[in-house]
Amino acid sequence: MNKHSKKICLTLVLLALILVSTGNSASQTIKPAYALVNCRIVPVAGPVIEKGTILVRNGLIEAVGSAGKVQVPEDAEVIKAEGLTAYPGLISAHTNLFLEPREQSQPPSPEELLRAYTQPAKPQEFPELLILEKLKTKKQIIESYQATGITTVVVAPNQGIFQGQSVVLNLNGEDLNQMVLKQPWALHINFTTERGVYPSSPMGTIAFLRQKFYDTQHYALHLQKYRSSPQFLKRPEYDPFLEALLPYVVEKKTVVFQCNNQEEIKRALRLIDEFKLNAVLTGCNEAWRVKDYLKAARTPLLVTLDFNPPDSSIYSRQGEEVKKKAESELYPANPANLAKEKINFSLTTFGLKESDFLKNIRAAIQAGLPFETALKTLTIEPARALGLEKQLGTLEPGKIANIILTKGELFGEKSKVVRVMVDGVFFEIKERTNEK
Amino acid sequence: MKPISTNKIINAHKIAKIWFSPLISLILAGLVVLALFPAASYASNQSSRVRAIINVKIVPVIGQPLESGSIIIKDGLIADLGSNLSIPPEAKVIDAKGLTAYPGMIDGYSSLGLVEISGVAATVDNRETGRINPQVKAIEALRYDSMHIPIARANGIVAALVAPSGGLIAGQSTLIKLSGWTNRQMAIKESFAMVVELPQIRSGRRSFRGFGGQQPEVTTEKALDELRELFHQARMYEKRRQAARNNLLLPLPEFDETSHFLLPVVKGELPVIFSVHGDQDIIQLIKFVKEEKIKAIFYGVEQGFKVAREIKEAGIPCLIGSLYGLPPVWEDGYDSLFLNPVILNQAGVKIAFSSSSSSSAKDLPYHAAKAAAFGLDRTEALKAVTIYPAEIFGVDDLMGSLEPGKLANIVLANGDLLELGTKIEKVFIEGQEIDLSNRYTELLEKFQKREQEKQL
Amino acid sequence: MRNKLIKTLLISSLLIFLISSATSLQANGNLLIKKATILTVSGPAIPEADVLVIDGLIKQIGQNLSAPPGTRIIEASGKYLMPGIIDTHTHIALHGTNEGTDAVTPEVNMATVINADDTSIFTALTGGVTMVHTMHGSANVIGGQNVVLKLKWGKPSEELVVKEAFPTLKFALGENVKQSNRTLLPGRPQRYPATRMGANALIRRELNRAKDYLDEWDRYEKLKKSKNPPATLLPPRRDLRLETLADLLRGKLVARCHAYVATEMVEFLNLAKEFGFKIGAFEHAWEAYKIVDELKAAGVGLSVFIDSWAYKMEAAEGIAYNAAYCTNQGLLVSINSDSGERIRRLFNEAGKAVKYGITQDEAIKLITINAAKQLGVDHLVGSIEAGKQADLALFNNHPMSAYARCDMTIIEGEVYFDREKILKERQEAAAKKGGK
Repeated sequence: MNKHSKKICLTLVLLALILVSTGNSASQTIKPAYALVNCRIVPVAGPVIEKGTILVRNGLIEAVGSAGKVQVPEDAEVIKAEGLTAYPGLISAHTNLFLEPREQSQPPSPEELLRAYTQPAKPQEFPELLILEKLKTKKQIIESYQATGITTVVVAPNQGIFQGQSVVLNLNGEDLNQMVLKQPWALHINFTTERGVYPSSPMGTIAFLRQKFYDTQHYALHLQKYRSSPQFLKRPEYDPFLEALLPYVVEKKTVVFQCNNQEEIKRALRLIDEFKLNAVLTGCNEAWRVKDYLKAARTPLLVTLDFNPPDSSIYSRQGEEVKKKAESELYPANPANLAKEKINFSLTTFGLKESDFLKNIRAAIQAGLPFETALKTLTIEPARALGLEKQLGTLEPGKIANIILTKGELFGEKSKVVRVMVDGVFFEIKERTNEK
Repeated sequence: MKPISTNKIINAHKIAKIWFSPLISLILAGLVVLALFPAASYASNQSSRVRAIINVKIVPVIGQPLESGSIIIKDGLIADLGSNLSIPPEAKVIDAKGLTAYPGMIDGYSSLGLVEISGVAATVDNRETGRINPQVKAIEALRYDSMHIPIARANGIVAALVAPSGGLIAGQSTLIKLSGWTNRQMAIKESFAMVVELPQIRSGRRSFRGFGGQQPEVTTEKALDELRELFHQARMYEKRRQAARNNLLLPLPEFDETSHFLLPVVKGELPVIFSVHGDQDIIQLIKFVKEEKIKAIFYGVEQGFKVAREIKEAGIPCLIGSLYGLPPVWEDGYDSLFLNPVILNQAGVKIAFSSSSSSSAKDLPYHAAKAAAFGLDRTEALKAVTIYPAEIFGVDDLMGSLEPGKLANIVLANGDLLELGTKIEKVFIEGQEIDLSNRYTELLEKFQKREQEKQL
Repeated sequence: MRNKLIKTLLISSLLIFLISSATSLQANGNLLIKKATILTVSGPAIPEADVLVIDGLIKQIGQNLSAPPGTRIIEASGKYLMPGIIDTHTHIALHGTNEGTDAVTPEVNMATVINADDTSIFTALTGGVTMVHTMHGSANVIGGQNVVLKLKWGKPSEELVVKEAFPTLKFALGENVKQSNRTLLPGRPQRYPATRMGANALIRRELNRAKDYLDEWDRYEKLKKSKNPPATLLPPRRDLRLETLADLLRGKLVARCHAYVATEMVEFLNLAKEFGFKIGAFEHAWEAYKIVDELKAAGVGLSVFIDSWAYKMEAAEGIAYNAAYCTNQGLLVSINSDSGERIRRLFNEAGKAVKYGITQDEAIKLITINAAKQLGVDHLVGSIEAGKQADLALFNNHPMSAYARCDMTIIEGEVYFDREKILKERQEAAAKKGGK
């Protein structure tokens, strides 16, 4: 503990006292001002500043510039950052943070089967679900994310076909309300199947999706008619399922399709085209295999750094040797291939253990993904996909102060994230003991 | 199998005498035949009629093919065959011009007579519940009037190994001829071998195993450990029983069914057919067989080609599983099942083909032809459905080739025996001409009547 | 020698890459096949003749043909060339087989779940199969829509679809839809229908509903076009299930009906008459030989097994004479595999028909031109004639012989399976491994 942090503590205590006495709500906390001086700055928005200053006040970036050009104001606490590099906080635009691991497609146990057989299953379809309402933060998880440099995440639901609606969180503590950046962000759809009830097959799922989209269109039409001429028209029966879809099917808010293999990418593109949806694709670790389709469709992608070949993939079906080779050579080259084709994408940690993040991003870079692209696809690109490009993704004045400080170049073999600032507040990086 | 006493045969001839009043010389001839040929002692209830198949192309399997010749059948046996034979005057002559005579085929592994309609449990008798069933005997459930048997016969198959299935020790197989009015009449060897099923090859593919989910994983190593223990128990059981027999003061051990029925196996009297698949499993099994000093036959052996030399050195014959399958692992190559018998044969391993089925037992010749399409010598393919299975089952003195003294198991075909379009015109089993009508022909005739009615 | 052979079998990674990059096998759809016995199917066999393929089409058949420079020449002396084999009933190259949760699911479409990665495609090619009718399963009385594919291994799924083929809808009758071979646990209700009566009643009910659906839309269109359409006029809800059945009634879809026993086939013919829809073929049709007159009068084709029988009660009178007898009676018969394994020996299955009363020339039609007719593509494929697509299979022996082995499979002039090449690759891989 140095004297800087002692000062921070003191300021915080004072601030807290003021707030308590004035009865202000916690979310209105005024955060301190910092001046990060003498650090190397990679703003993503512009050229690298070899020796510069970043000014942060009240959770926002106030100024970024080379050492001489930015004045350090009186109230700012000066953080000497010699030898460190500052980057915008990384964004993972698809996680299942704080949720139970997603359902594996393991064969059910005899007990499960028996239960499913004797008690008719109920479909697990809740498009109206707001995942934010289900979340319980865990300090440990937040810290492990921060340690990788990730400061912003999308938390998406992970059950069913119509999975529900996701939220964008800044990993700035444990108070969910303070963390929210965008709520809800998008409706998430997965090409999975129900167990024991319709739809229980991939083709059933597609028919089900189409029928629901048509139903929403019809529901909207009915509502509209009813609003304009309520007389002599039976009112539409309130349908919470279709109500939840209205903003996405009619108002064209963002829909995210989870695409677990190359065919699902094309299936999603067909649905997007049929219903003129405003969509983003996620998963997509086989995106390079359908690059021509993606180039034509120009749908943004959230590409996972998970390099396991999908079960049905040709690379999983020709023996262990082929699978291993694909996992270590072909799939890590996916981001590089997309970059080569100038396909718009963001990288995500979807389906990944936090500990694999660094390893896999390094593998992607090794496979030909330029470092600059790697950085963009974890900062400004996801910010854009989330509609938060004015607030996030670069180190520019006016943006949210999500800043990471590293020793060595980010993603480098010996690099390390040493400090993380989220929403203008510093967090210590805890050395994880379980890492080898 | 108990050898049938000569007395019985003479009795049979006495009865025959009343009906056919044959010459004394015929009886004497019969006795001579008995002395010379082992098959004679087996052919107990055969017709003593004399038949001569003439003008026939002969593919004897053992010996050179003849473009045109005759086969003399006497007392259920092949009395003679050749090109310039004098036909006995009493012989019923069958002119087989345009036809080819082959020995009847032997199915190396089947469920004939145990499985009638696989999807109807009431008609399925090949799979006992539980894992250890040395006490169950295929012969005791054999459905002699199975609809699949006449169909197999009409394709030239005259004998088959019938094996139970399921668990680790599936039960006792039986070797049958495809004729007879009761299950016991069909038996060539009532209990031919114990059937032991080792685990299938684990492939990368996910396989759905139906209701009840995944079966617990049993490795070949574990299965062999279990067998070793069971064999040990059987030996100890026998030891205690012997001791008690010799010494009245010692307690007689309680009846142990498993040990009791494994005893002939551990004594090396009853062979074991091991259903074994992966190359490493085969290697482990060879070691096991040596250590336990048991008589072994392998069945399935899909990856046998990888360890053909080891199988050859161990001197263990192989019953090739159905070729109607896919390679168990992709890396083996798309044609590994077809090349497997070719490589085994070239390595000198004794192989026999099998239908592994009841409802498609008739396809036995096509499995052999499939291997031939992928490089198996055609005469070897033919041997692997005739003389090789006969040798493996220890009945090559009775069948498997057309040779004087062997049972007259003869098939007259209008072409290559293994060919798809070939029609089987006549089948003789132990000299008796078999009615080739079957479920197929009967139903066809029944509904052809609809057409015929119109013409009336 | 033997060791070498074994080694070559052990290693196949090279082969895999060969397969996954099928493009390397192609020759721009131009080929000259020399000196094969041409089993034209449309006419008598032509011994020692050449086939010239230009741009994927059969250009010329004759003696001593010459090809433009650069054309790949295939020496086929002593070999037999037949049209690519067509399998009229399979479930390969799909993600999913049955939407088994409902007895009526015509809205599901197999074309939406094609899986170009299915290794069964390669397996089928090794048996000379070039085209498949890949179908919904038989769990439901009214299953889903099927699709016809060319087995262009390594190409994207869209390029496999044969758009010219009849659009078909799967029906199923008998034991599968009655679920008579399922074990019911206590407390589990039996699904309707549980009898053949019920299955027919269900089809009738659904088709009546579809008629009403058509009617409802007609009424809406009329009202909309009327002089003073009511302000409250709302289009009917679009129902994909009824819409598909309406397409059947309107003749846009052809029924393919899984049926075994004579009675259920007779009754399905009656339903077709009652509602005026077309039947493409009965699938399996084990008792067709009993009702030849009725089938002939209705002009319905048969897609059958040659001799796979006695696996359930309704298959216990399935005689191996069925295909040959029905052919001799003038019915249009094809032999199908219904299996990812049997498909590679479909030529053997057809060859068996010779034993039961037809010639080799007729037998070969069961898996070529007859199948093409049943799928509505006989103007494109199914025989070797100038102008048709060059879908071809080369065999070492007459393909109706038990000793036949497929050596090469060609689709539209491109080689998708080449046994010699695979053997060479194996040897090279073995040499490489041996060298290490």
